[in-house]
Amino acid sequence: MKLLRFTLKRLLFLIPMLFVASIAIFLMLRLGPSDPAMDYLRLSRVPPTPQALENARQMLGLDLPITVQYFTWLGNALHFDFGVSYALQRPVLPDILHYLPATLQLAGVALLLTLAVSIPLGIWAARHRDGLPDQFVRLVAFLGVSMPNFWLGFLLVWLLSIELGWLPPMGRGSASQMIMPALAIAFMSLSINARLLRASMLEVSGQRHVYYARLRGLGAGKVERSHILRNALLPIVTATGMHIGELIGGTLVIESIFGWPGVGRYAVSAIFNRDYPVIQCFTLMMVLVFVLCNLIVDIVYAWLDPRIRLGVEEKA
Amino acid sequence: MYELFTKFHTFGAGLMWNRIARRIGFLCLVLVVVMMGAQPGVAGPVLNFSWPVNVGPLNPHLYAPNQMFAQNMVYEPLVKYRADGTVGPWLAESWQVSNDGRVYHFRLRQDVTFSNGEAFDAAAVVANFNAVLANRPRHAWLELANQIVDVTADEPYDVTLTLKDPYYPVLQELALPRPFRFIAPSQFIDGGTMNGIKRPIGTGPWILRETRLGEEDVFVRNDHYWGPKPFYQQITVKVIPDPNSRAVAFETGQIDLIYGTDGPISPDSYERFRTSGRYLAALSAPFESQMLALNTHRGPTRDLAVRLAINHAVNKDLIIDKVLYGTQKRADTLFAPNVPYADIGLKPYEFDPDQASTLLDQDGWLLPEGGKIRIKDGKPLQIDLSFVGTDAVAKSIAEIVQADLRKIGIDVALMGEEESSIYARQRDGRFGMIFNRTWGAPYDPHAFVSSMRVPSHADYQAQLGLPDKAKIDAEISQALIETDAEKRRALYRDILTRLHDEAVYLPLTYVTAVAVAKPELGHIPFGAMASEIPFEKLGLAAP
Repeated sequence: MKLLRFTLKRLLFLIPMLFVASIAIFLMLRLGPSDPAMDYLRLSRVPPTPQALENARQMLGLDLPITVQYFTWLGNALHFDFGVSYALQRPVLPDILHYLPATLQLAGVALLLTLAVSIPLGIWAARHRDGLPDQFVRLVAFLGVSMPNFWLGFLLVWLLSIELGWLPPMGRGSASQMIMPALAIAFMSLSINARLLRASMLEVSGQRHVYYARLRGLGAGKVERSHILRNALLPIVTATGMHIGELIGGTLVIESIFGWPGVGRYAVSAIFNRDYPVIQCFTLMMVLVFVLCNLIVDIVYAWLDPRIRLGVEEKA
Repeated sequence: MYELFTKFHTFGAGLMWNRIARRIGFLCLVLVVVMMGAQPGVAGPVLNFSWPVNVGPLNPHLYAPNQMFAQNMVYEPLVKYRADGTVGPWLAESWQVSNDGRVYHFRLRQDVTFSNGEAFDAAAVVANFNAVLANRPRHAWLELANQIVDVTADEPYDVTLTLKDPYYPVLQELALPRPFRFIAPSQFIDGGTMNGIKRPIGTGPWILRETRLGEEDVFVRNDHYWGPKPFYQQITVKVIPDPNSRAVAFETGQIDLIYGTDGPISPDSYERFRTSGRYLAALSAPFESQMLALNTHRGPTRDLAVRLAINHAVNKDLIIDKVLYGTQKRADTLFAPNVPYADIGLKPYEFDPDQASTLLDQDGWLLPEGGKIRIKDGKPLQIDLSFVGTDAVAKSIAEIVQADLRKIGIDVALMGEEESSIYARQRDGRFGMIFNRTWGAPYDPHAFVSSMRVPSHADYQAQLGLPDKAKIDAEISQALIETDAEKRRALYRDILTRLHDEAVYLPLTYVTAVAVAKPELGHIPFGAMASEIPFEKLGLAAP
């Protein structure tokens, strides 16, 4: 019941947060020097004569005062109408919903990959502290956090598609098409997770309850599973919540490189074309994703570790 | 957990393995089909192409998101623009022009139908013209849309077009990929096309069969096409926004052809494919010019000597070799000689830094002792060069221009800005030098020189300091309505000669279309306009 109250409160808090975010996004886009009408004419290959510009501004609703533009947009957005894309002349929300499953699929696979690889790597490194495995994981982590995902993407394409011909370089439809983009997106998150888990396990393994468990004569495997890993995983839960947002954000460029028909590629095109309605809707969606991920993490955290008290309880 | 797994394994094993075996068998079948390159449902050869976005709903009378190359595949014009700059018959087999140049009578072909079987006749032509003109403000940038007074169907296959003025580029503008092309009137919505169309039904050699959002568009051959049948049965246009990804897709066999004028692949990728010897690689004839407009109304470029010196000091061959990897051609005049009225034998300004220095010395721009920047009347020879900051190619060109001019004592300040800021500078003349392009065939030269009279254009602003600006503008106005071809030619000769002699521009390159294809294609033809990709000629023997 308390958890439910906490969740509802956090969900209600979303409303003012999204409202403030919407104003910030709206203003930031419009206060810049760019002119979407010019981009529309460029895409249309129409010479930007003053009359053509004026017509384009009228057509896109950019001739109205900024407050009118905002409240019109807000009023429509409350009815889930996020406007029509300047570049594509199609309603934004249906298109985002069309592209979203592909992005969630990619981010989901990347998340699974992150967990499936980072947890064993972290355990391996912790078991062999300062040994060769630890050095190896350190090197992987160093590469993972230093290398931009698009660069890794290009390297993977060069090696696995062009040189070796093992994997298709782009598209969506088969599992083989998902390997490289998922790896490119996941590499940074799994590197961070592996190091985090290593550090967390080493920290927990020095604690008193682990010492006592060993004194009780429990086997090394049992101690590691039940007393070290279980406690060490808590920070990983927090990190994973953040990684979900990062992974979805990571699709922005990776989808363009791998021709993945997802919402990230749609957003990148919109940014290039200053397609305000698409950028606004996408950014709000990302705000929502990040906030919801944090909320889910908090709930899972509280559920996993009864020692942790939710904010509502503390006040109570 | 282990026990649970063991139980599940024991009870469900037989059933599960049968299912898995069936699935593996099916996957193998799919794999075999894919490996054989078979395309289920396609009877003939398929060409895979790519484009940065989906082709759009293909409304022939509207702009973005409708992609011009695709509109050109489905819809046809009354007359066709040809590579030599002339206009020939197409859906109209002949035409006559009244003596005053205001009335055009078109005789239509009688063997043309829309791809749904509907008749293409004078009524369909009039309905389409009316649909375009109902949305006249959207097309006002195109002078023909403002010039048309009336379109009537005299006979079932005769159409009369009446204009306000004897505007001579009527045929060139009718040949454009939009808006004057023809969709079956049955596909209109609300009696027109400004609110959309039902389906893209044209008379052209291709039919848009399917669009998969964000993935691909599929065109199939129009087997009822009145002209020569294309070789390919299907053109699949895959959505690949990134030029590097497109190059990879080509290299790994996902697409068969790369084609375009707007950097479909980077110049170095083109060079790599060309020199590999494994692919066909070709450049088209020039489509448009890229130049710097030099401001005759502001700063040191007001001096003719400075403008001439700039023209002599920039090494264009270096730009083409090192930045563009030979993908564009050296430009010595504002328009390439293949542009109508432009082959008038203008003498190029040769690359000669010594002559440039001499010109500056003679004009009083002198190097101070130990200094590197020339000075005249106490003012340093500093010029700003504006370009779109995110355009990596423009930036590299700008840097070469800066280095070349520094060698003769001109200090160039590079101003990389937002595209809109650059256009704002073009509109109000706040530039010393600025990147600019002509409009390309079939707009060149008439529409481009026409825009020189409009204050919001960089060309107008750049020319504003010329003593004969008023005369140039008057000659442009006269050329556009001159019905006598020889007089018109003389007017163009005078306009272009004046602009060349006054060195208002630093012509840099002629932009070409780039094409790279698998050797199986045999020959890559180019369209007469930048927006035209002649798929219907691909796979056929070279003419």
